[in-house]
Amino acid sequence: MSGLVREGWLGFREFVGTFGAFQMFFFRLLPYLPKALLRPRLIIEQIYSIGVLSLVLIMFGGFFVGMVLALQSYSTLVEFGSADSLGAFAAEALVRELGPVVASLLFAGRACSAVASEVGLMRATEQISALELMAVDPIEHIIVPRFIAGVISVPLLAAIFSTIGMLGAYLVGVHLLGVDSGAFWSNIQVRVDMYEDVASGILKSFVFGVSASLMAVFEGYYAAPTAAGVSQAATRTVVIGSVWILLIDFILTGFMLPGV
Amino acid sequence: MVKKVCDFWSDDAVSNLVEIKDVRFSRGSRMIFNGLNFSIPRGKITAILGPSGTGKTTLVKLITGQIWPDDGVILFEGRAVCPCSRQRLYEMRRQIGVLFQSGALLTNLDVFENVAFPLRQHTKLPERLIRQIVLMKLQSVGLRGAWEHMPSELSGGMARRVALARALVMDPKLIIYDEPFAGLDPISMGVIVQLIRETNDALGITSIVVTHDVAQTEILADQSVLLSEGVVVAAGTPAELCNDRSELVQQFMRGKSDGPVPFHFPGPGYVEQLRALASS
Repeated sequence: MSGLVREGWLGFREFVGTFGAFQMFFFRLLPYLPKALLRPRLIIEQIYSIGVLSLVLIMFGGFFVGMVLALQSYSTLVEFGSADSLGAFAAEALVRELGPVVASLLFAGRACSAVASEVGLMRATEQISALELMAVDPIEHIIVPRFIAGVISVPLLAAIFSTIGMLGAYLVGVHLLGVDSGAFWSNIQVRVDMYEDVASGILKSFVFGVSASLMAVFEGYYAAPTAAGVSQAATRTVVIGSVWILLIDFILTGFMLPGV
Repeated sequence: MVKKVCDFWSDDAVSNLVEIKDVRFSRGSRMIFNGLNFSIPRGKITAILGPSGTGKTTLVKLITGQIWPDDGVILFEGRAVCPCSRQRLYEMRRQIGVLFQSGALLTNLDVFENVAFPLRQHTKLPERLIRQIVLMKLQSVGLRGAWEHMPSELSGGMARRVALARALVMDPKLIIYDEPFAGLDPISMGVIVQLIRETNDALGITSIVVTHDVAQTEILADQSVLLSEGVVVAAGTPAELCNDRSELVQQFMRGKSDGPVPFHFPGPGYVEQLRALASS
């Protein structure tokens, strides 16, 4: 039992230490952000690499999540005679919750793991040391463009996810289950609020973007310069990044929902 | 008889580009350098020799300010490498080119862009001039024809030559070669030896070659420094080192498997360990 307590204590200490280092790393990046925006080419390259190349996965995911959402909610709504609300139900769920969360989780799995591996491999193959010895700051040149690209990409990907999800819900709800097309769209127009729903979804996806991207560059930058170290960095990025997204989602939802 | 290093070179910043004075450095409880003293004379090729694990690469990191010594001073052009501001450190590094064992080329850039990279970062030269300089440097290492290749398409020797062109592109005062001969075939090795010599003589720069390849050092180096157990054990021309009577120097220069540097890693006695195993 004492061994378990000791292991638990050591694990807790490691968690606190890593969390502290994570925060320090974030504050270390902040002064570089304005300067990085003056060199947009590096950021645009990374937006293509981690954002645009994630698009197919995000659209595919959004489409199927929308279709499943319509199928699942229809059976319940029809019991209460509210089948026409299917569009509004799917849209609210997608814009407020599923869009930001699922898009961010997919982004963490597809793009953040790639960023962590790439940066970790740059460390292992001495490319980061080479930059330092060429008097080029690797934080400015490697880390910050990837971080900013992630922060910009996630809200856009979440918006695309939600839009495609609604199309999926429309396809199933209107063409498969027979919901009226006019009622589907007009209910969305009436129920979905710009501030409470859309803005909160954008805010959430922005916070998730910061969290997931920061985790990716942090894990990659401090990866042990070995094959195992790079693989661990990618795994930790996805696992810890996903847990962070879900935890932050719970906290933000608690603050944002009216009457909670 | 080989002179001890402290006496061998004067501590004069005019004649010495780098001076290492009483440097101590340890990692955890393991002492890497315990009072290291020597100087790198300007315009010469200095080979830093030593068995694996003596801290040759650590020494490169100390000279370039990547790590700081626990005690002692490292001077580059008469000014302390550390402690100093990041700006001053980067200013100093612009005058130093480092050739890594792996080349450490940026894998997302082609050969041309790798060589052009320091120029684009540190100068505002017009594109036409950058192209001229890069092609000139690539020509000097014999790889102008490979300017469109990606690093993944290069052999180990070619990658090192591109890295040399990149290290030279800012016209540094000092070039440090970290294990430049490791893993090369005889032709590539000959090419690298020739390039180091020609580069040093043609550009009048100072070179440090960190290696344990005694044969290439004898051909190439003007001065050699042999490190062991955290101190300089001998220094002089390669010929002087070869004729040194010290057992350790002889073991290293002649590649003997046993001697002052033991074949066996320190541990409990073999017989005692076997007995202990049998009785347990």
